[in-house]
Amino acid sequence: MAQYGGWAGKVLRVDLSTGRITTEDTVEKYRDYVGGTGIGYKVLWDEVGPNVKAFDPENKIIFATGPLAGTSAPCNGRTAITTLWPSCWPKHLVASGHMGGHFAAELKYAGFDGVIVEGRADHPVWLAISDGKAEIRDGRHLWGQGIRRTNYEISREMGAEAAVAAIGQAGENMVPLSVISNSGSHTGAGGAVLGSKNLKAIGVRGTGSIRIAGDKGDWEKAVKHHLSILGANNQHVVPNSPQPWAEYYNPGTRWLAARGRVWGASDPPIDTGTGDPHNLNRIAYRTNSAAFFLGPDAWKNTVRGNGCTACPIRCHTRIKVPAVASKYGISEIGQSTCIRLVLGKRFFKKFPDGPLGQTSIEACMLGMHFADDLGIWDNYGQLQRDFHKCHNEGIFKNKVGAKEYQSYSWDKLERGDPAFLFELLPRIANREGELATALGLGTGFMLERWSIPEAEWKKDHQLNYWKHGHPKHHSHEDAGQCGVVINTQYNRDAQCHSHSNFTRNGLPIEVQKKLAVDLWGSEAAIDPLGEFTPMNAHKAKMAKWSLLRKELHDSIALCNWMGPWSASPLKERGYKGDDSLESLLYSLATGDGKSREELDEVAERIFVLHRALTIRGMGTRDMRTQHDTIPDWVFADEKDRAPFTKGTIRMDKTDIGNAMTMFYRELGWDTATGSPTRDTYKRLGLPEVAEELGKAGLTV
Amino acid sequence: MGLCVLGLNAARRKAIFNRRENLMKSPLTTEEITGKILGIIAPGRPLSRRRVLKLCGATIAGMASWNCLGLSHGTGVPLIITENALGLVVADPTRCVGCRRCELACTEYNDGKSSHALSRIKVRRNQNFGPSGLYAGQRLGDMGNGLIVQDFCKQCPHPVPCADACPNGAIELKPPTNARVIDEEKCTGCKVCLKACPWEMISFDPGKDKATKCFLCDGKPKCVEACPAEALLYVPWLDLTGRVPPRVPPVANRSQACVDCHK
Repeated sequence: MAQYGGWAGKVLRVDLSTGRITTEDTVEKYRDYVGGTGIGYKVLWDEVGPNVKAFDPENKIIFATGPLAGTSAPCNGRTAITTLWPSCWPKHLVASGHMGGHFAAELKYAGFDGVIVEGRADHPVWLAISDGKAEIRDGRHLWGQGIRRTNYEISREMGAEAAVAAIGQAGENMVPLSVISNSGSHTGAGGAVLGSKNLKAIGVRGTGSIRIAGDKGDWEKAVKHHLSILGANNQHVVPNSPQPWAEYYNPGTRWLAARGRVWGASDPPIDTGTGDPHNLNRIAYRTNSAAFFLGPDAWKNTVRGNGCTACPIRCHTRIKVPAVASKYGISEIGQSTCIRLVLGKRFFKKFPDGPLGQTSIEACMLGMHFADDLGIWDNYGQLQRDFHKCHNEGIFKNKVGAKEYQSYSWDKLERGDPAFLFELLPRIANREGELATALGLGTGFMLERWSIPEAEWKKDHQLNYWKHGHPKHHSHEDAGQCGVVINTQYNRDAQCHSHSNFTRNGLPIEVQKKLAVDLWGSEAAIDPLGEFTPMNAHKAKMAKWSLLRKELHDSIALCNWMGPWSASPLKERGYKGDDSLESLLYSLATGDGKSREELDEVAERIFVLHRALTIRGMGTRDMRTQHDTIPDWVFADEKDRAPFTKGTIRMDKTDIGNAMTMFYRELGWDTATGSPTRDTYKRLGLPEVAEELGKAGLTV
Repeated sequence: MGLCVLGLNAARRKAIFNRRENLMKSPLTTEEITGKILGIIAPGRPLSRRRVLKLCGATIAGMASWNCLGLSHGTGVPLIITENALGLVVADPTRCVGCRRCELACTEYNDGKSSHALSRIKVRRNQNFGPSGLYAGQRLGDMGNGLIVQDFCKQCPHPVPCADACPNGAIELKPPTNARVIDEEKCTGCKVCLKACPWEMISFDPGKDKATKCFLCDGKPKCVEACPAEALLYVPWLDLTGRVPPRVPPVANRSQACVDCHK
């Protein structure tokens, strides 16, 4: 181990059934899988059989970071949470949640790259990890408490510097749509699995260090290089309004900084400025997720940007809305990013003062208040879409008893009164009543419970529902066929952003096409959005690249919500990013020199192991028809425009068939079944996987 | 004989005062005293007043007493010289976004390892609940009102609690910034300086078994360079020792020698 930097060196293993705590050498056991989801998949493959269910004590939940977590490599604050997924329908298959915050760094400083949690405690407990030591402590006093209270109580025991990842009431009650949360608003799904194990929280405190193996001067240069090509959130490299330094602007990007746009609730207020990309001391002002998602009114509520350890992007915008304290008795402070910022407002159709008015912001505050304390996951917005569909089509009325139905103030919902959330969200977390219980199961199990065919959901474009109980996540609306392919691969909503971070980066299509030549061999890899052309081999390359980089990021601990850094805001570079950045940072930090290609192969090993786990879990090798399915709405258009005509994102069924074939071929998978071939398993150093699947008749 | 030599480390001071005790018992000549003191300060080096001050660790107060050593020019006014650092890192908590890139730049680019505990600028400890922690006062930080207070070395001119406390004279003023820097050769890892700093700004490297403190990166502080929110500035030195409240009460009765000036 001593020869390597980056890794903390040990993986902690905690058996809650027996109370036994052991450690493993990270490099010795997991170097070929790097960290994060790599370690998670490896543990599940080796140790959790195909018939285990998410809430069985035999299921394991693996919290793992990677060699870059806790260093100054930008965007490294990630912890992957890998387990059998409780909302994956009809069978709990492997999936991972992804949590930012300060947990990852603190865990590394405490001496661990990951924590494998197994078994089930016979009473509520929490796990205290402090500088190389771990201890299971009684958690009965914490059970029933929200995440904020839990965080506070554990900090009292461990010290104010502890990073606490905890579940709320939703996780305790094994609501499949539940999260684990640390540092206020940084959540990863999988809370119910922790609840099933009676594990309330993991508190971490670390004062150790991570060694950078390479020369410190080289490391400093590499990090500064990375900073120099950063954009704003989602690696958007073009500002969203005209700026004196900028050749382009694009109103769709998340680069919001501009003179006159002010963090209004800072005391005194702070102007975000013009945001010249050469000024590395102002990167934190580029992004304001609140203003992006809640509308321009949120500028006045903005206290500051917040976010993960070492990330200069600060996508968790902190907002202050004093009115909610007096109106609803909740904290006037809220913070989050992306979909969780708007979790509350999305339950409503309209608000009295418009979609971006003060009331909508208050609904968002209530949403954050409940979701981040009770620990609710909204299934990437599917929870609210399911809610609307069931409400609008009278499904609730049919499936729920009249008394329970009338106990909801539907008039509040209709008129856009955020107070409605007081009735709904706590009931979801506490499994109170039929309506809330069903919603909390996630789409697949809810439909099954109410005997509604999944096909109903797959037809409706408004629902964005994809498969396995989960919605699409950056599909063809962001990257044509490449997006569709990516959305077929996972057992939850695809958490891949490699493709959309590129196509939505704000650069004009001509510039993007130039960059695409270097990245995927041809301009034809990408189309203007809504002007798609038929499938080609370069799009398949882009899909492969996107997925491998996602798994790589989830394993070395870089943020796939920011990476890969395939474009930059720098005109003098022709807006080129650096596709070898991961290799540069990984090699310097660990001392395990790996080229871009070598590291991509590691990523492929990890991705294919995920595939093998899915094949084993489903008990079929015919992934193409059984797993990689595409909902009907992808092939429809509300105005019945034909595929490949301007203005529609409608895909063509035959063309997508070609896309899947080309993608499988690109990965060395059997094109008829979508299963990796034995040769592919062997090429990636997974011969034992091929052998085990072969014995079960699951290889081709 | 009102001899007061501040800014010297404890060992040297002890040695000096032991000699003073001896003087009481068996008076020596002025030349002998001068010789003995300078022998401690700068063995075998020719004397200049400037050099004495520098070598003393730069804080020499109550210099009237040096009359007896023939070093004063006899103005009759107590001479208080405080050799301050040339610059200082100052922080703006309203701008801090809590990323701790400053802490990591400090330890990675200087020490080749990532560690907030080792960092000479300190954010993590205030990040969650603020400087008052969980138990008292208004709760700041991520779990409170959001304000993140960055703690930084005040580059004390006089007294210099860490340097004064060091029994080995390992904390010395060094060019080009004149910051007090811990000499790793001399540091024995006793951690006395950690306890002495009222702002708790001395870090300890358990790998090396040495203490470490802010040395202003020889005039180009890495933390300032690393901040993505312009929350840190490197400014010409100003005296913040009386303006920033200490985290812990200063160690009382640090030295009998102080009493001569601070009655």
